[in-house]
Amino acid sequence: MTTPPTPTVPHRTASTLLALVLPVVLTVATVVVALSWRDDLPDPVATHWGADGPNGSGSLDGFVWSSAVAAVLLAVAGWALAFFAGRAATTRRLGAGFSLGFAGFLSTLVLGTLALQRGVDDWTAAPSVDGVVLLTLLAGLVLAGLGAALSPGDAPEPTSAPVPVDAARLPLAPDERAGWVQHISSRGVLVVAAVVLVPILLVAVLVRTPAVVVPAVLVVALLVASMASFTVTVDARGLTARSGLGWPRQHVPLDEVVRAQVVHVRPFQEFGGWGYRIGRGGRVGIVVRTGEGLLVERTGGRSLVVTVDDAATAAALLNTLADRSRVA
Amino acid sequence: MLLRIDPTSAEPLFAQLAAQVRTSVARGDVTPGTRLPAARDLAAALDINLHTVLRAYQELRDEGLIELRRGRGAVVSEHAALDYAPLRAALAEVVRTSRTLGLAPETTTALLKDALSEETR
Repeated sequence: MTTPPTPTVPHRTASTLLALVLPVVLTVATVVVALSWRDDLPDPVATHWGADGPNGSGSLDGFVWSSAVAAVLLAVAGWALAFFAGRAATTRRLGAGFSLGFAGFLSTLVLGTLALQRGVDDWTAAPSVDGVVLLTLLAGLVLAGLGAALSPGDAPEPTSAPVPVDAARLPLAPDERAGWVQHISSRGVLVVAAVVLVPILLVAVLVRTPAVVVPAVLVVALLVASMASFTVTVDARGLTARSGLGWPRQHVPLDEVVRAQVVHVRPFQEFGGWGYRIGRGGRVGIVVRTGEGLLVERTGGRSLVVTVDDAATAAALLNTLADRSRVA
Repeated sequence: MLLRIDPTSAEPLFAQLAAQVRTSVARGDVTPGTRLPAARDLAAALDINLHTVLRAYQELRDEGLIELRRGRGAVVSEHAALDYAPLRAALAEVVRTSRTLGLAPETTTALLKDALSEETR
């Protein structure tokens, strides 16, 4: 049996525009504006703040250019993901969101902290940055969301090719309907979250900067909660994996299933960690633990992995129902 | 958990669902503490009415096989894990004897149903 040629990555123009051109333009504009303020700014400028105000300084050029280089490098990384591995909409959205989010974050950081210092004679007299930090977080999140939202979605790609004969099947009478529903929850994700978040919150309370840290912690907590439990369903509609919070959600309709099979998932080697992830080759993963998982190869060279118990039943049912959808 | 229904069967849909859960528990495929699919998810997956699933779950709860908890859904009871081994051994004996006698499976099940209703009378 020959494997079909892997299709090229779609929407490369959109990915380049969102994940590379826009972030670079934003970064260049930031550099131009920041350097135009040179005469109003102290020399050196404050570049680091502690709980009691500014505690670090540096040259304007060093500050502005190092941030710009970081923003461009991060944008290139996000663009490369979307451009070379962005077969699934999720991968393209992540790439564009990553690039634009960091560009927005760094631009707001540079312009925000410098705007505070315009007209200030000495960097030690720079005012508090709490407001700016909140603003940078917000700008980063909003632009990341914008990049993800503006990335083009996947067009339906139905196939009429039969599911390979060697893929597992399940006996199912012609009139019979079958549904497979399984919960997955990750204690690991919650434990890691607690280990990371509790000390941060304690520190925030101790150094009395809750205004900055608490919103960040809330965002992280929400992200973690969204990835801690999923309901996975295989039925006449296809495969659906939905978070307990409703998002993230992944759906593979039956007519886009190439084949389903059981795999052994190693989260760190294949996906770089736990959660809702993009793995090697742009593979989308809902990975909450090591071990048994369901791999669905999908049309357009896409693939999805979900770590779930009883994956053999799920794979066999999905192949069987996909067969059925091809006949109809 | 895999559940299936046959809409063309004479057996009501809720009874088909309940029977599968019973079998799964009896065979040890589903252990105490396991959460059954949320009724709404299962109804959507099988494209049947929510009340059909709820009726199956209520029947299983009345039998003490599952517990229905607000917010947690249907959970297989702790005491659902009876030791079915003696029953399985007895059933194997019934199957063996009826084969030796050359009885049709329908005859054996009819006799078994009869015996069960004798018991409850």
